[in-house]
Amino acid sequence: MTKKVYLHVGTPKTGTSYLQHVLYHNRRTLHRHGFHYPADRFDAHFLAALDLMRMPWGGLEAEAIGAWDKLAGSVRRASGVSIVSHEILATASRVQVGRALESLGHDRDTEIHLVLSVRDLVRQIPAEWQENIKHRAALSYRAFLDRIQDPRREGRIPTWFWGVQEIPDILDRWGRDLPPEHVHVVTVPPAGGSPDLLWKRFVEAFGLDGIDLQLDGERVNPSLGAAETTLIRRINRAANEELDPAFYRPLVRELVAHETLSRRTGTPRLALPPDVHPWASELERSWIAEIRARGYDVIGDLDDLRGAPPAPDYADPDHPDEALVAGAAVDALKAVLLDHVRLQRELGQVQSELHDTQRLLERAYLRPTYRWREKFVRRLESGETGRLMMKAYRRARGRSSRSA
Amino acid sequence: MSRTTSDHSDRDERADEARAWGWVAHLRDGGTTPWAAWSSAAGADEQFGRYLPGAQQLELLRRLNRLRLPSPELAERVLGTSAPGRGRPDLGLVGVLPESGFGPPPVDPADLPDDELVRVATALIAEDVVAAGDPLEPRTPRLWRRRYRILGDPEVANPVRDALVADGRPPGRRRATVVVAGSDLGSMLVHLWTARSLGAGVRPWPDWLRAELSRPSLPDRIDLAARADAWVPRVGAGRVHVVIDDPRRATRLVTRRRIPMPRALSADAIELARRTAPVVGTLVTPERRTALMWHRLRPVLAAHPGPPLRVPERYDPWLRDRTADLRRRLAAGDYAVHGTLLEPAHRVGAQAPDEERVLALAMRVLLGPPIGTSLAEREAT
Repeated sequence: MTKKVYLHVGTPKTGTSYLQHVLYHNRRTLHRHGFHYPADRFDAHFLAALDLMRMPWGGLEAEAIGAWDKLAGSVRRASGVSIVSHEILATASRVQVGRALESLGHDRDTEIHLVLSVRDLVRQIPAEWQENIKHRAALSYRAFLDRIQDPRREGRIPTWFWGVQEIPDILDRWGRDLPPEHVHVVTVPPAGGSPDLLWKRFVEAFGLDGIDLQLDGERVNPSLGAAETTLIRRINRAANEELDPAFYRPLVRELVAHETLSRRTGTPRLALPPDVHPWASELERSWIAEIRARGYDVIGDLDDLRGAPPAPDYADPDHPDEALVAGAAVDALKAVLLDHVRLQRELGQVQSELHDTQRLLERAYLRPTYRWREKFVRRLESGETGRLMMKAYRRARGRSSRSA
Repeated sequence: MSRTTSDHSDRDERADEARAWGWVAHLRDGGTTPWAAWSSAAGADEQFGRYLPGAQQLELLRRLNRLRLPSPELAERVLGTSAPGRGRPDLGLVGVLPESGFGPPPVDPADLPDDELVRVATALIAEDVVAAGDPLEPRTPRLWRRRYRILGDPEVANPVRDALVADGRPPGRRRATVVVAGSDLGSMLVHLWTARSLGAGVRPWPDWLRAELSRPSLPDRIDLAARADAWVPRVGAGRVHVVIDDPRRATRLVTRRRIPMPRALSADAIELARRTAPVVGTLVTPERRTALMWHRLRPVLAAHPGPPLRVPERYDPWLRDRTADLRRRLAAGDYAVHGTLLEPAHRVGAQAPDEERVLALAMRVLLGPPIGTSLAEREAT
């Protein structure tokens, strides 16, 4: 029987984290139904992607050594259907794609199905800038937009953006050697639709119909408003030089951005500026035409790739409402203060435990003769005669301390 | 694959692709003609491969051919290796396919910045570094050995410590003699950046230097007074020595053995190491990466002379202030200070690495003897 591999390679911001969460936490159920999701940790496929592309990632690459070969080996050994999913695979080069497909058994006994989940550029562009800001970038929204609109596409930001977002190019790199019916394009429904719809499309794409999967976890990555994103950008500008990268993630990205500022849902959302809309809409139109012409299997509706028209009240993060930024800053400061208090309490607790441990350690270091003397004194003091002897000894020694 | 524009006919497209395959075959044969001047089409038997190699790979091979003919194996590796990490993807050749409107714009390979070719080269050098194999395992620690710790300037402390560890004399134990090695602040900044370039990774020299000099205090590792002060309460002032500009004396305080100091690296060599280390880090663990970078790549880079790196003159006021402060703090300590911390003086060398020279060095490393061969063999070659 021909084995089948569903290879989901992107794009970011299309519900990929939720999909991977569900697949990882239901891998036993999936296994019972003939599906193989080879992962011994939640980020196993992310590590495999880093390894395939030899991509340093803040030290995480050390955990990724050999991860692709391990994943591919597991897929090759499995029978039935295997699923591999990570969105940064979208940026793989043709050489890396060739290696990936070959290692998964393409051209041998395995039928590779490519899955690409896609969302309109009107939502993807601001989401990508926000993601850059949450990864320490300090460039303005306008600078970001200028860079991605520059046709030369030089530099880290446009290279990454187009590498993971240009749908026809991703499909060209990954789907070149696959028949179009084995390439599945899953569209993300427009905002405001049923929250289940995207999941149903994934179910259809991967053939998971009829499997009772436990669907828990956050379906949507926390996003920030325009003023909140501006605040993070200002923090980056002020602190980047001095804040160690190891502390940035827990303090700025997690505590301030995700756990605090993302809860401010009543402020204006980040959006595409009206003057950039025509350019983005034209790209969307050409992409839709190209995907339609290539004859891929589309799950959803290609018209989902047409972004919503510009909002009448666009909030420019480069010229924000300063009162909103100040409000966000107060919330952020409060969160950091409370976290500091929590850490101070923990520190007090740890210091107390450390003090106790040091005392115990000192006792453990005592020489045997000292311990024997201590034991002898304790034994003497447990009886009337002994206590009298100790009293006489201390008086003769010249002090009355009872310490041993 | 359909394309959005179709001003080229299919026949033209095939002819352009055949021309590109012809250029690939020419480069495989050691040719040096630039893409813009190439016109011959490949024969049917020369159009192999699923896709054309990227412009970066082809241009790197052409530049290597111009320097010295690489082995056929190296030529194939160049053509089949994508640039690692983030950056521009493998690019198409201008004039081969009609402008599709999708994907990065095709380029004339001769117009590519050197930096793009260095990226590809680092992937190959990293593979060679790992293939050279790990340095020898250190011998079992000796029971009777001198108790020491050596800190400070990494160009002195690291080689001495590594040599002693390899000989079964790891640092530590109670009441050890603590030696804080140092030199003038400008040199120590360069040495610190060198050590980080060979280790866990560091930002480019100008960015790193600017950031370090904007901090209120010296980088921990080269703050000689702070290092010495930290050890006084633990081992006593009598066992702490600060040794400035005298590696032999620093060595003698911790061992009777003579330990040769490594050759200094040129500015471009350090930059090439900085660019290569993260790629090595995608192939081996951090500990192995550092060992391989110091003991396998560093000797190779050191064999290629070039201008040393130096702190630009505009930072002299900062250096003078910090030197005076460090002198004051060293004088206030109870420990022995051997030597004098010098003021910043006129220095020769490069203020920053140069991309063109870094690429030239990367190509010489690729074309040289295998990484891991001894210095004598390397110099004989």
